[in-house]
Amino acid sequence: MMSFKSRIFGRSMLAVIGLLALTFIGGGVIGSLEASGALVDAEAARFWLVFIFAGVVMVGAMAGGAVWMLSIDEAAQEAHKSAWYWGGSAGMAVGGVLMVIAMVEPVAATIDLPALMGRTDPVAYAAAGAFAMLTLMLIGYGVVWTWWWLSRSRG
Amino acid sequence: MNNHLKVLRAERDWSQAELAEQLGVSRQTVNALETGRYDPSLPLAFRIARVFDRPIEAIFTE
Repeated sequence: MMSFKSRIFGRSMLAVIGLLALTFIGGGVIGSLEASGALVDAEAARFWLVFIFAGVVMVGAMAGGAVWMLSIDEAAQEAHKSAWYWGGSAGMAVGGVLMVIAMVEPVAATIDLPALMGRTDPVAYAAAGAFAMLTLMLIGYGVVWTWWWLSRSRG
Repeated sequence: MNNHLKVLRAERDWSQAELAEQLGVSRQTVNALETGRYDPSLPLAFRIARVFDRPIEAIFTE
């Protein structure tokens, strides 16, 4: 009999493969419609395809995460809660400093920021900021999660 | 909080993995409990008491 975790893993893999297949098919349909001239606004179609894909992925990640969180034992849950609160908060605090100094004119306006995939439009900078904050939070999360287990594994 | 988990487990000649299986937790969690660096929830403490057939206060001490 398959264990609960194996079933979750199997279903998650199926969902990921299904999503990849759907995106591939959707991209192919848009590409062929665009090539045939049947698609009036290909860029808008691509935008909405990615929007739907991102939405499905995030909802799937939330649902998978919830099921997985319920499948692990209480100490493992505590490690993740602690990592989320302390690590995520610490990462957000570092990002908060960067966010505040970004408001200090005129010096902040002269800082040369890395652009997202070579783009320099406002949305790209907003996305780069969101990625930076997320990265800092994940770094904090990883550090606290590792510390939580290491500090409890020594005899 | 201190506990006698390691002694009780040794008396029964169980490995951490065997105790973990009986409690429905991971081996890492049993290790964290034994080192006294993780205090179990009340439901888990009751499960531990049942597995060792001892009252909770005989296993955990302040």
